[in-house]
This record gives sequence, structure tokens and C-alpha cells, in this order.
Amino acid sequence: MSQLEIILPSKKYKQRATTFLVSAIVVSVACIYMKFNPFGFFAEFHYVWDLLGDMLWPNYRVLSDNSSLVWSILLTVSMAYLGTLYGSFIGVILAFLAASNTMPYKIVRMIAGAFLSLMRVIPALVFILIFVIAVGPGPFAGMLTMVIATVGTFGKLFTEIIENAESAPGEAIFSVGASRVQVIRFSIIPQILPSLIANVLYGFDVNIRTVIALGIFGGGGIGFEFQMAKSVLHYKDMTAVITIMIVLIFLSEKLSNYLRKKILGEGKLR
Amino acid sequence: MGTKKYSFKRYRKLLLPLILLLAVTEGAAIVCGATFEKLLQGLSKGLSFLLYMFPPDWSAFAEMLQPAVESILIAFLGTVFGAILSIIFALFAASNLSNKYVRSIVRFLIGFERSIPEIVILLLLIAAFGLGAMAGIIALSIGCIGMIGKLLGDTIEEIDVIMMESMESVGANKLQIIAFGVMPQIMPSLISYVLFRFEINIRLSVILGAVGAGGIGYELEYAFGLLEYHRALTAILIIMIMVFGTERLSLMLRNKIKTEGVLK
Repeated sequence: MSQLEIILPSKKYKQRATTFLVSAIVVSVACIYMKFNPFGFFAEFHYVWDLLGDMLWPNYRVLSDNSSLVWSILLTVSMAYLGTLYGSFIGVILAFLAASNTMPYKIVRMIAGAFLSLMRVIPALVFILIFVIAVGPGPFAGMLTMVIATVGTFGKLFTEIIENAESAPGEAIFSVGASRVQVIRFSIIPQILPSLIANVLYGFDVNIRTVIALGIFGGGGIGFEFQMAKSVLHYKDMTAVITIMIVLIFLSEKLSNYLRKKILGEGKLR
Repeated sequence: MGTKKYSFKRYRKLLLPLILLLAVTEGAAIVCGATFEKLLQGLSKGLSFLLYMFPPDWSAFAEMLQPAVESILIAFLGTVFGAILSIIFALFAASNLSNKYVRSIVRFLIGFERSIPEIVILLLLIAAFGLGAMAGIIALSIGCIGMIGKLLGDTIEEIDVIMMESMESVGANKLQIIAFGVMPQIMPSLISYVLFRFEINIRLSVILGAVGAGGIGYELEYAFGLLEYHRALTAILIIMIMVFGTERLSLMLRNKIKTEGVLK
């Protein structure tokens, strides 16, 4: 007994030490390969101070001087909103085609499922580059990218939500003569609607962030204004744009939480 | 009700939200200059352009492997250092470990970081340090704090206070409580958050690469800039493999942790 107690921890510690050592070696090899010195950040911190000196304090006069900035805020929100709406619309349709309990034909299921998986692994950056060439730079390209990105992010998830719906109510009404469409309408949709709406609202929250990033690549909106201010080295204007972004993201998070609580909290969707 | 199955009454309460939704959609569509036909047209244009990019330029495949490895390493190092930073932030953000005032300051910082897109952090770092992988790694590390720091802070707060008090009563100091009481308990959730973040970071490292952190994102942007679309398609395929591979890997590891309950 006493021997066991002595042996066990030492074995465990040996194991732990090995794991720690191996990961430390892997990390340092990766650092050396990338020529990255984690302490370099602190050694060269004065550059950050220089930049902060240039950036402070934000110049909010840019809001009245540059009329396109106010417009771009509206553009960003609209792009995220339309992208979320149309994207989740297309995503839900594809998800119904890909779910095993709503689509009886295996071949359709496989095609829709493969399409959704494909959309999932392609980052939004690829789509913005493609759409900027296909329809020209601007908010329309940004919106199209958001549509596709939303389909990619949520299509697979929607499929899983539909497939996880309880089958018993559907079977019950099917056995008394409901058609397939009626089964979907009265059994599956009431079950999936709350989590669908929660995910769409969450999607809006995510999309606002993505849309800002895409603006830098020609998607228009506030990201584009940020890029403009930065490329002409107007750092004080840039800081103002960043603070607007932060407020925008913060508000969209609050709005999405509020709507989620409001819609789902009271069980209005019965 | 009786025989009438589809009564209007049933849907009446949805009428007002629906009208509101349509109005907002119409407004947003006017702002974006989009109509539904234009939307379908644009989508089909984009997809046909994607087909136009076929076939990929296989000869570029070999020279893109190194940038791909660089992207993966940027994401990896960003996640590792980000996790370390996040642990520190999470310890200060947990109500059962830290002072009330420190906690609210740290929570504010975490929330603040969460509101800044990673790409903005990167562009600022590039303005400070110049182009390169270093700015990318640091941007991703900082980007982790908002997510992992918050989730981990909440996880630590769920730990039973009695456990900590009993350790304290037998003479453990704060560091010992953290090392032997807190860390083993949060390890499984920490690992699953970190793996999840690694997936996000792989995607982000592609985007960050395109604005100057190097790696496969840069190759993609560069190929598009030169109008070499077949080469760009090669980069897209590599990115897809990267994303798919990391997703599978992280799913596998997470399942393994869940089922075997290692790291206890």
C-alpha cells in the first residue's frame, strides 16, 4: 500500500514533466522557425507608445467633415443584416434538403450536405476576393459575401438542429394522415424555431465583426473607412473610426441578446 | 375554431413583427443597392467566376506548402501565447480568486478586447512593428483574451469555494491554490476552449495573412492581385484542406478528452 502511494505520484509527475517538456520544445522550435521572439514584443514596446501618441486623442470632427463615414456605419449594419437574413434563409432551405428526417431522397441529401460542408471550409476572405471581381467592389459585394458566409457558418448547424428534432410527434400526426409538408410544418418547425432564431441572432452578432474585416478588402462600410484613414496616415481619424467600431460591435451584441431574450424568453413561438 | 384549420387568428400576432421585418429589410436593401434579382444574379456571377478559375495550377502547389505551414504556425503560436495570456486574465477575472476592483477592471478589459476585431489589432500592430509574422502572432494572441479569458473566468468562478477554503485552512498560499486546486479542475475546459480557438485562429490567420502577416493568405491575395486565378484556386484548395484538417483534428482531440477523461 505504502509503496503504491509512493510510486503513483512519481509516475504521474514524470508523465506531466514529459508532456510539458515536449510541448515547450515544440513551441520553441516553432518560434525559431517563424523568427518570433515573444519577449521582442516588450523590447520593442516603444513603437507601440509612439503609435499610441499618434493615435490619441480620437478626432471626432471627422464625423462631420467626412459625410461618407456616417453613411458607412449604416452600410455596415445593413450588410450584416441582409447577409444574415438572406444567408439564413438559404441556409435553412438547404438544411431542410440535407436533413435525413425531412428529405427522403438520399441523392438530394448528399448533394445538399456536400455543398454545405464545402461552404463551411472556405473562409469569407476567398468569397470577398471573388465577389469584388465578379460584381465590383462596394457594399453589394460585401453583402453577397455575408450571405455565403452565413450559409457556410450555419447551414451545417441548422441541419443538425433539424435532425435532432424529436421524431415522435411527427410520426404521430403522420400516422393519422398528415402529409410530409404538414409533418414539417406542425412537428418539426415548432421544435426547431427557438434554436433557429437564437442562432440567427447570434449570426448577426458574428456577421457585424466579419463585415468590418471584409471592408478592408473592398467590401465597403466602416472597415473601408478605417483602411482609408490608415493608408493616408490620419491616425487620429483612425482612432475615431475604431471607437465607432467598438460601439457598433458592443451595441449589436446587446441588441442580439435583448432580442433573443425578448423572443425566446416568453415562449411566444408556440 | 371547429373545422377551420388555418385560421387567420393563429398568425395575427406575427403580423406586426413581420411588417417591421420587411420594412427594415427594404431599408437595408436600398442602402446596399440590392434587390432580390440582383442578389441571385450576383450569387450566380460569383459561382460562375469560381468555375472560371478551374483548373487549379498544380505546379504552384509545392511552393505554396511553405506559406501554408507558416500560416498554421502563426495560428499555433498565437493560440499558445494567447492561452497563456488568457489564463492570467481569467485568474484575475474570477470573483473567487481576485479582488473586487481588480476583477471589474479586468472584466472590462476582456469585454473591450472582445469588441475590437482581430484585423484592427493586426493593422495597428503592423503600423507599430512593420509587416511580418510577429504582428500576426501577437494579434492572434491578444484576440484570444476576449474569448478564452471570459469563458475561463466563468469556469473558474464555478469552482466550489469550499475546496479553496479547505486548502487555505491547511496552509496553502494563493499560488498553491491556483496550481493544485484551480488548474487541474479547469484543465479539461481550458483545452476544449483552446482547441476551439485554434480552429478560429486558423481561419483568422488566412485573413490576417492577406493584410500583411504573411503565409497562405498573402499568397492568395497576391495571386488575385496578379490576376493569376488558377494559382489563386490552388491557394484556396490548400486553405480548404487546412481548415478541414484542423476541424477534424480538434473534434477528434475533444472527443478523446471527453471520453477518456485524461488530464485528471
